[in-house]
Amino acid sequence: MNVLSIAIFEIKGHFRDKRTFVFMLAFPIVLILILGTALTNAFHNGISVGDMKLLYQNSASNPQLQTYWNGFANAIAGQGVELTPASPGTDGREAVKDNRYTAYAEIDDSGIRFYGSGRETIESNVIQGMLTAFADKYNLAAAAAKISPEAAQAIVVNAVAGGSFIRETSLDPDRKPGSIDYYAIAESTMIAFYACMSASNLIRAEVRRKTALRLAAAPVSKLEIFAGKVIGCTFTNFLCIVAVVLFSKYAFNANWGDHLGIVFLLLFTVVLLAVSFGLGLTYIFKGEAANSVMLIFVQIASLLGGAYFPIEDASGFFDRLTNLSPMRWANNALMNMIYNGDLKAAFPVIGLNAAIAAAFLAFVAVTLRKREAF
Amino acid sequence: MNVLEIRNLTKKFGDFIAVDNMNLSVREGEIFGFLGANGAGKSTTINMISSLLRITKGEIELLGRNIVKESKFAKMNIGIVPQDLAIYEEMSAYENVSFFAGLYGLRGSLLKERTVEALDFVGLGDKHKALPKSFSGGMKRRLNIACAIAHRPKLIIMDEPTVGIDPQSRNYILNSVRMLNRMGCSIIYTSHYMEEVEEICTRIAIVDHGKIIAEGTKEQLKSIITDTKEIWIGVKKEDALDLEALKRISGIISVRLEEQTIKIVSKAEINNLNWIIQQLIKDQVEISSVEEQAPNLETVFLTLTGRNLRD
Ligand SMILES: Nc1ncnc2c1ncn2[C@@H]1O[C@H](COP(=O)(O)OP(=O)(O)OP(=O)(O)O)[C@@H](O)[C@H]1O
Ligand SMILES: [Mg+2]
Repeated sequence: MNVLSIAIFEIKGHFRDKRTFVFMLAFPIVLILILGTALTNAFHNGISVGDMKLLYQNSASNPQLQTYWNGFANAIAGQGVELTPASPGTDGREAVKDNRYTAYAEIDDSGIRFYGSGRETIESNVIQGMLTAFADKYNLAAAAAKISPEAAQAIVVNAVAGGSFIRETSLDPDRKPGSIDYYAIAESTMIAFYACMSASNLIRAEVRRKTALRLAAAPVSKLEIFAGKVIGCTFTNFLCIVAVVLFSKYAFNANWGDHLGIVFLLLFTVVLLAVSFGLGLTYIFKGEAANSVMLIFVQIASLLGGAYFPIEDASGFFDRLTNLSPMRWANNALMNMIYNGDLKAAFPVIGLNAAIAAAFLAFVAVTLRKREAF
Repeated sequence: MNVLEIRNLTKKFGDFIAVDNMNLSVREGEIFGFLGANGAGKSTTINMISSLLRITKGEIELLGRNIVKESKFAKMNIGIVPQDLAIYEEMSAYENVSFFAGLYGLRGSLLKERTVEALDFVGLGDKHKALPKSFSGGMKRRLNIACAIAHRPKLIIMDEPTVGIDPQSRNYILNSVRMLNRMGCSIIYTSHYMEEVEEICTRIAIVDHGKIIAEGTKEQLKSIITDTKEIWIGVKKEDALDLEALKRISGIISVRLEEQTIKIVSKAEINNLNWIIQQLIKDQVEISSVEEQAPNLETVFLTLTGRNLRD
């Protein structure tokens, strides 16, 4: 009960503060609008799907599979995928790592193994999608062949002729992010991460305005106070994000895909991560230092996360750097979800965010227990 | 029965001893004055009683029950009015009181009733919806009190509740303290204003360097200083006045000049008035009046601590 009333009080306080509206609502919406319209040209109808170069090694001896593969290869080549057979002795994985190819596939009688580039996730996902569709069709055909060779033949002919591997997986033109779409995602994750700012003030503001003293004197445990405040803060910030997402969706027609529920779940974990990160920092660094560290981190993470301009094809050190930005993880997962229908991309990020958040919260809870006062 | 019993209480901040083996008891129904100069250790003691600070050594009992072992009981029965305003400026007066009262387990209609009661009590009954941002210093101080009493504690601790406010609000607060006391609350009251303490407190303790150096009723405290006297000498043309020379006169404990009055504390048994007057004549100071003061708390404090309460 105490936790709930502390949370509700926290939420009320937030919403009474004009800064909440300016920072958490007006600021991102204006950014989406300005960056989204000003940089339209930079997107030439959205993020273009870059060159898709597939390196493959076909060592299958099954003639049926050979036929299918050839049909498939022709079909996807027609869709702009550049196929290169690997010369013997080539290490396909290295080639992908070095960024010479988007993806590498090994085809043998036991099936297809796929190795995608971590960098160009959209491209490599497209290819992976095609390969999956192919493998499914092949398995279907192989199973059908056991029962009725004619049926199997029909499946294969249809599949290859209709180019249906591709239709199922390739990006349809409407589903490329335009600049508004891009910035709607990028600013939403950025603002979700900004929750760390209000979180860093959660306990510090109580100490500053001396109300911490009353809280300490009241018959509630520090853990209850802490839980109430975290819940209140997370909830308020999340509500703002929901408002920004819905506003961009309906007012700017930004594309948020067909799985809004998972989009919100993912953004919720970003907020949770940010809140616990913000709180954690105030217990790692003393006084105002925490705020400075956080400001710098948020700015760099926003930049690397692509909040101001899209970061594509990063490589080497810079690539590793961008991967340190929680906004980058979130943005990539959202892009994959929305533009490739790849729901699975969201879950590792959701899990990672939740795990990091839990670690920070546990750290704060333990520190708080040890601390005198707050 | 004692509401509060403090035994061998010590608080260290690193190597610094802020409260030093303090012993103190406050009886039920008292308005207990807690006097001490800046940094004497008053707030530190109070913060240990209200569990903001951990006790380094010793123990505190509230109504006979240890406040660390039975912290819930202690917290339920203590109301704290912190030295610094502890209110949410962006929340209304009503929301402030109701939030804190809610932390004491009050819910529903009882919570409403007590919140209204507390606000009425401090004279903010017509300001429920107003934000403290719009309040005067005195009104904020009163809200600060309301937040501490809605849960009807047995012991109310007020850490300088009247600092920096207008005389009207101060009177209001002093009256509220008396009224709370009549309603059955015991009160610990700290202040830098000697007159206030003298006016409302039934018993007084003087703290210095974390220790209680005297304790008792006003009369008891004043009787401590039968061995000192205070002489006030009204002066004009005091430009050449040599205070140091006065201090060197035998028996003199302290000398200060306040608005054309030289205030001298001296040992009672030594008759040194002649010497003092002679020194003043030598300095060509014009004397307008000489009077010996009845001992007051200020003198007691000064004699015991060698310091002014306010500096
Ligand atoms: N958290 C702390 N860390 C270190 N020293 C402290 C801390 N809190 C108080 N002190 C020191 O302990 C001493 C007692 O402080 P305290 O606040 O109890 O004095 P006080 O009697 O309330 O004074 P005032 O009349 O100015 O309010 C002071 O010297 C103060 O500097
Ligand atoms: Mg104090």
